[in-house]
Amino acid sequence: MSIKAGLGISTDKDSIKAVKEAVLQAKQNLGDNVPPNVAIVFSSMEFAHLTMVKTISSMLGPIDVLGCSTAAVICNAGIFRHAIGIMLLSITSDTYYATGNITDIKYKTAMKAGEEFGEKLLAGFKSARRDLGIVFSDGMIDKNSNLIYGIQERLGSSFPLVGALAMDNLRYSKTFVYYNQTVESDAACGLIMGGNVNFGLGIKHGWKPLGKPRFITRASGNIAYEIDDIPAATVYEDYLDCNLKELRLELRRIGTFYPIGIYLPGEEEYLLRNITDIGEDGSLILQGNIPENSQIRLMIGTKETCFTAAEQAVNEAKSDLTANSAFFPKINFALVFDSISRYMLLGRDAEKELDAVKKAVGPGVPVIGLYTYGEQGPLKSIDYHGKVYLHNQTISVLLVGE
Amino acid sequence: MDSEILVNILWLAFASAALSLLIVFLKKNEKIKYLQSAVDTLQKTLEEMDEQAKLIVRTDIALNKTQEELDKKLTGLYALQRLSRAISTTLEEKHIFRKIEISHLEDLGFEKCCAFLWNTDANEFISYLHIGYMEEETEYIKADLAEKRGFYLDIIDREKTISSISLQKEMGRLEMSKVFRANSFVISPIMPKEGDKGFIFFGAGADMPLTEGDEEFIILLANQVSQALDNARLFEHTWMAQQSLERKVEERTQELSLALEEVRSISKRKTDFISAVSHELRTPLTSIKGYAAILIEEKLGALPPAVKERLEKINRHSDELVRMVNDLLDISRIEAGKTAMKLVPQDIREMTASVADLINIQCKNKEVELITEIPESLPQVMADRSQIERVFINLLGNAVKFTPQQGRITIRASQEQGRVKIDISDSGIGMPPEALERIFEEFYRVDNKINQHVKGTGLGLPLVKHIIEAHQGRIWVTSIQGKGSTFSFTLPSIN
Repeated sequence: MSIKAGLGISTDKDSIKAVKEAVLQAKQNLGDNVPPNVAIVFSSMEFAHLTMVKTISSMLGPIDVLGCSTAAVICNAGIFRHAIGIMLLSITSDTYYATGNITDIKYKTAMKAGEEFGEKLLAGFKSARRDLGIVFSDGMIDKNSNLIYGIQERLGSSFPLVGALAMDNLRYSKTFVYYNQTVESDAACGLIMGGNVNFGLGIKHGWKPLGKPRFITRASGNIAYEIDDIPAATVYEDYLDCNLKELRLELRRIGTFYPIGIYLPGEEEYLLRNITDIGEDGSLILQGNIPENSQIRLMIGTKETCFTAAEQAVNEAKSDLTANSAFFPKINFALVFDSISRYMLLGRDAEKELDAVKKAVGPGVPVIGLYTYGEQGPLKSIDYHGKVYLHNQTISVLLVGE
Repeated sequence: MDSEILVNILWLAFASAALSLLIVFLKKNEKIKYLQSAVDTLQKTLEEMDEQAKLIVRTDIALNKTQEELDKKLTGLYALQRLSRAISTTLEEKHIFRKIEISHLEDLGFEKCCAFLWNTDANEFISYLHIGYMEEETEYIKADLAEKRGFYLDIIDREKTISSISLQKEMGRLEMSKVFRANSFVISPIMPKEGDKGFIFFGAGADMPLTEGDEEFIILLANQVSQALDNARLFEHTWMAQQSLERKVEERTQELSLALEEVRSISKRKTDFISAVSHELRTPLTSIKGYAAILIEEKLGALPPAVKERLEKINRHSDELVRMVNDLLDISRIEAGKTAMKLVPQDIREMTASVADLINIQCKNKEVELITEIPESLPQVMADRSQIERVFINLLGNAVKFTPQQGRITIRASQEQGRVKIDISDSGIGMPPEALERIFEEFYRVDNKINQHVKGTGLGLPLVKHIIEAHQGRIWVTSIQGKGSTFSFTLPSIN
């Protein structure tokens, strides 16, 4: 038995009462005699975040607390826009783990901060084989791709890593990352595990390509200057039949519903990039990096393709989990990182995605998750050797089993 | 010659090769043209597809907007329904506003909310709710309300909802946006029928495009709040009235208890006094009677007839006095609870038969008919036989006294709800209505011709009443003047 999990959720308006309720539930679900080592915490914005993590520590003693703020907490009972969700993990001694965090990412630059973060995680892990990493980072960091590159510099580029970009309540102003008794913006925290840990990972978005293929003819980092030798934003002006000013006004909707898809040979799906801003020169500022000469398409998502993708993601995770063992293993818990774009697209049907996940993992398996501004996960085709990228619009499902 | 043939052959070969090349070239050219045309067609198809893609995107974005709007409306309606249910079941004024939560606001598409009621006594707006505001922001709003109270009171007076749609820039839209820190907003008056009135404010940032539908929702909500306030105030009013009534009832009960205590104390003093006086009277009476008897029996010598006659009168009056004293003593004993009733099962038929024997002589003398109608199935009663016989003798004696010759006296008995009811009716002179109320009072005697001639103490019926009540029974009288009276009493029966 590697990792046991107990889930707790509270919608009480009082931060301390909510934490107490969620922790007690999680402890009860974990089992009275099972000591927790790690707490994964997701919380909506209105709670007193520092009080929250301090209360968790005072209730549970010196355990590792990891998590971040979100617009809505996902768990078996549903999707809660005003809640604290806690999953307590009891990791037995045959599974190794280490936690760490990094702050002042902007000052250090995302790449350097990523490297330092990777080193910290490795220092805690010593020489044991590492199998899986989980990372939560500030959703407002400009060059989040670079943070991953930095981590990969230290942990290896094919090291399986899943991550979520913290959210606020869709104000796009400030997000929080929790690590032990601290609450920080401009920061990241994470956990790496090895030894006896069996997991499966599925990541899908369901957005489909539309229109003719185009090429990024000039780009740098996360900025696409030109598409087919004309200012990048012109493509959107043309598609939507609007001028730059109108485009800016509708940016949140357009950037979310019609992102750019980068064609990756061998991959089932395109790698999506949300547009976060439009430069004065008509360049598109994207949430992740985009290489020059990439073949791109305009992407479109529908509710149906979203649901199908959610089913595919959880089934892929299940297949992945099965591939690593001789018989179908018992699923101990599920972690879901769901893009806020999907929530906006699905509207009142958002819970159907959760239903698909719950149906696939079966009854009694604790599911915790959050809505994110971006997701990190590996590409699976041979060409990419499991290299981790920043994704948009995806639902990523991590299943941890016996 | 050979060389010429060779040259010709070479020419021929060259010509055929050139011809073949020409044919191949022509064929290739044709294929290139075909491929070029295919590429052109493909390019054209791609461009057409791209144009179709544009149409799809434009349609999709319009659909998404409609879907969003629809979702927003549905969510808003659902929130409104939840909120209405919560508000309408709240009966405390302050709690009504507390039912509005951030999740309701978000479902309605707003980020901020505040509510103020105008307090006429304090002459200021009182804050009842603020969501999405820091403390200092609320203070800033309060200050603005105090400064421009006329403007805000006008909203209440005119019962008019204003919003960032209806309010023009020059009419203070920008200023209100600044004060309430919201680009889109709705202010709707809260107009309960009674008590303090006010307004509720809902606001959101620049991202929220306000529609008239949103405005409608807020008006509905404000009406709901007004109605809930009315209900709460009515409830509070009713509750206060009930509290005051309960307090008054309690006060009166206490006063009555004290009065009752006083009456009991006076009654006890009266009983004690009567008891004491009666005892004191009995001793000299016994002596008077004793000496009178000695004299009448002429043990101290013969008496002249006139003296003897006077002495007999003394003796008779003394007997009456003794009876009266005894009755008084009995009444006071029963009142004081000193006479314990020996309650044993008794047969009413048997008891009336023995009493009728006693009274029959008087009836015959007066030619009055005595009838008893007592069913055989009548259950036994719990009674002290000697005391109930006194009751019968008293009531029958009175009946004989007030019934003229050829009259009739009837004793009836019946069973009702665990009791036996006995009626003693006569065809006598009856009583006036005002006498019915006082007939059981001590020393009360009905003013009629018979009473003027026949002596009586006025203690018989009070004694009867005390005896019946000591048996947990009830006694009452009905009478029609000139037709007769019926005395009825109940005794507990044995089931």
